[in-house]
Amino acid sequence: MIRTLASLLLIAAGICWAQTQQPSVEAHLGRGTQLMQDRLFEAAATEFEQALTANPTDPRAHFQFAACLLALGRNDEARSQFEQVRKLAGESRYVTYYLGRLDLLSNDYASAIKRLGSVADDPPAPDTAFYLGVANISSGDVPTGIKWLERAAKLLPRDYRVHYRLARAYTSAGRDQDADREFTLYTQFRDAHKTTEKDARDCTAALQTGPPAAAREVCHRVFDPNDPEKLTLLGQLFGDAGAFEDALDPLKRAVQLDPKSFEAWHNLGLTYFRLQRYAEARARLETAVNLRPEFYGSVVLLGATLYMLGDDAAALPVLEHAHRLNPADAQTADVLGKLRAGRQKK
Amino acid sequence: MLSCIIVLNAMTRREFLAFLAAGTAVARVSHAQESSGMASRGVKPQPRGKPSGLPFHARFTDVAASAGLRTPVIYGPPDRMDYILESMGCGVAFLDYDNDGWLDIFLLSGTRREGPVEGASNRLYKNNRDGTFTDMTAKAGLLRQGWACGVTVGDYNNDGRDDIFITGWPQNILYRNNGDGTFTDVTAAAGLLHSGNRWGTGCTWVDYDRDGRLDLFVSNYLVFDFEKIPPTGKDPRCNFKGVPVNCGPRGLVPERPMLYHNNGDGTFTDVSAHSGIGAVTPGFGLTAVAADLDGDGWQDIYVACDSTPSLLFHNRGDGTFVEQGMQSGLAVNEDGNEQAGMGIAIGDFDLDGRLDVLKTHFSEDTAALYRNAGRLFDDVTLRSGLGVETRYVSWGNGINDLDNDGLPDLFWVTGSTFPEVERKHPEFPHKTPRVLFRNLGGGRFEELLDAAGPAITEAHASRGVAFGDFDNDGDLDILIMNINEPPSLLRNDVSGGAHWLKVKLVGTRSNASAIGAVVTAVYGGRRQAQAVMASSGYISSGDRRLHFGLGEASTADLEIAWPSGAREQVKGVQSDQLVTVKEGTGVVDRKRFSS
Repeated sequence: MIRTLASLLLIAAGICWAQTQQPSVEAHLGRGTQLMQDRLFEAAATEFEQALTANPTDPRAHFQFAACLLALGRNDEARSQFEQVRKLAGESRYVTYYLGRLDLLSNDYASAIKRLGSVADDPPAPDTAFYLGVANISSGDVPTGIKWLERAAKLLPRDYRVHYRLARAYTSAGRDQDADREFTLYTQFRDAHKTTEKDARDCTAALQTGPPAAAREVCHRVFDPNDPEKLTLLGQLFGDAGAFEDALDPLKRAVQLDPKSFEAWHNLGLTYFRLQRYAEARARLETAVNLRPEFYGSVVLLGATLYMLGDDAAALPVLEHAHRLNPADAQTADVLGKLRAGRQKK
Repeated sequence: MLSCIIVLNAMTRREFLAFLAAGTAVARVSHAQESSGMASRGVKPQPRGKPSGLPFHARFTDVAASAGLRTPVIYGPPDRMDYILESMGCGVAFLDYDNDGWLDIFLLSGTRREGPVEGASNRLYKNNRDGTFTDMTAKAGLLRQGWACGVTVGDYNNDGRDDIFITGWPQNILYRNNGDGTFTDVTAAAGLLHSGNRWGTGCTWVDYDRDGRLDLFVSNYLVFDFEKIPPTGKDPRCNFKGVPVNCGPRGLVPERPMLYHNNGDGTFTDVSAHSGIGAVTPGFGLTAVAADLDGDGWQDIYVACDSTPSLLFHNRGDGTFVEQGMQSGLAVNEDGNEQAGMGIAIGDFDLDGRLDVLKTHFSEDTAALYRNAGRLFDDVTLRSGLGVETRYVSWGNGINDLDNDGLPDLFWVTGSTFPEVERKHPEFPHKTPRVLFRNLGGGRFEELLDAAGPAITEAHASRGVAFGDFDNDGDLDILIMNINEPPSLLRNDVSGGAHWLKVKLVGTRSNASAIGAVVTAVYGGRRQAQAVMASSGYISSGDRRLHFGLGEASTADLEIAWPSGAREQVKGVQSDQLVTVKEGTGVVDRKRFSS
């Protein structure tokens, strides 16, 4: 879900909106996006509010603020912000998607079906069909709801929520055999999710307290060579514990399996950076920044990598971008000042 | 010049590297690393709408002290909870043990691991009929100190007197009412002693085979041993928001529930295996309730499970059960997530004549309200307006008409299981207020934060709750267990002149307590079902006299589905009285209270 939300924010940021922004707007948006990534929604909302104070007509700020408000459960305010986006930037299927979800939350099933149905053929998010199915079932149209939930199950085959809702819908329709099959899938994926959570906890504890060899054995339970999200999680767990060499393999496999995973690329770049393998870090971080140009953490890390490689000419614009995203970062400002001074002296 | 740049760059690069090493974060994937305790989902509250502005005519005042309920209920150390056993607390009961028509009180109690605490005991208080109670514990033969947990009240031997069964760790107890103000521990003689340690929690009398005798269902929580479970601080996985806390239930070993058949001679037989109850995948079972949830005339059993899917045992009518929690929709919430099931309330909040379910959970999660749609239940938590409240760990609960307006309201008590946390995170206090949602009609509720009297806003670490009219004034009062404090007795003073009706059932073919009966009252164009239950709230037992607020209606028609399968109707019952209906005979007694 968080990844979906973050991806939507990125895609939305790519919509052709005004390019000339005040630096402070960029900074607030950058910080807000990072805070949302860290699930610190209240703090993120404050950043987006400040971005809107700096430029009340920036549709990106309204959009990100709206998505953040939705995550906070402030649904009426979220709706108002999405409506603002529509006024400022015109119709967008992303806004329609979110408004449809808000309709669903406010029990306005007819409107949810209309909105989500209008974007279902080119869904802005993989869970569009899921919410459309839920809206249909809630409105009493179980057959149509089942049709959309079946599509959602194809798009999100590992999402236990989808299988649970589909199983319940089949039960309502008296299709007990289909229901049993979906309940089985639900249980399978829910159990897998819980097992992963437990394994991750055990891995963290083992890395904190146990000898490295024993910890690796415990952490290997998280390893799934075919699941990029679990591989990224494993890399993250090793990285959190400073076991960067151990983090490399799962992260390399994760980016192979899911080349669009920002988290995997960023963490792989970060791992190479921590291992002082700057050339290898550079390529991975460039990919991460391409996937998320507004994510301060990746941008500043790429700038630092270039800087450590001695490629000051390449580092300068990247660090300038990082500084725009986070002007409060005194160290980046300091380095930037020195880099600029060095170039002038040359 | 060149050397100057090199030096500058070298210094800066090192500084920069150090800064990055300290501050650069990983990008996290979505697998949240929950603490190993209870299921808390990090749910954000829904926004509170504009208040309705409608008056609420119930006002609650805690009269426990003036009523004579001043002895603290001991449960673990006063300032910490090192083990999960110390954190779960216990239930309470309203009962009429002396058949004088006035509700008496039975309070369970715990102890402390370090050793017995002077004065700590389960306690029986006799109602003096003047708003006060007298402690009869010793005289009744009920003095006992230990880790008592749940309680269910019912007449298991059909002698016309309320008996008491209590669960606990490491042993459960059956007290037979001798009819002379005393009780006898008949656990062993009844065949209810079990070998080894077992932590019984929820319990309910239930006539599952319709033979007219109350059988006994017990839910067990987990395998507990002070010597084998690490206390707070000894296992880094046991933390909440980074603060070390007691371990469990996740990570500990869950236990299966049990069913005992009443043989009719004072003894019971463990039929867990034969009935299918024991075949279920074990969960962390807490409150257990029995009621005919699907309206097929047979008692089903629903168990709130903590951090595992809750269990619904559908009664097949042949002495066996099949677990159908998932199929029914009662196992998990609407997204398929298990919750920290604590308390269960059964009632008909939407007045469609079907029994709905309210289940309470941990903080950062909502309570769950399930609407009975016939064979299936729909999770209507968010659409009913309950999503506004996610702050508290929630326990004993009820679906009861507290203001007599004819619409059942929702109430529950709260209190943290981790007193250590508030020192670091003041937003998670140990003692927290009560929660009351008034029914607005149309399936919508509104939380009343300070409109129902001072006793609602007072903060305690509460657990069990029982509802009953202890002062016989025509409204529902509330008895609450508070950990390491005296109990609360919330006297309800209803104004506004709304009408009410109480119904007491006496079984003949059915068990004498009529446990399992469903009464549907039709009044003022409304139709409300209520079940006679032996267990409700959080491992507690309430007044078996059903209380219907009637609003402006001055009469009601009653439809009674007896647990024997018989059905009876009583037409045109006048409001503002207690009527006693005997199975097969009709109304045998009417009492008007002075309100």
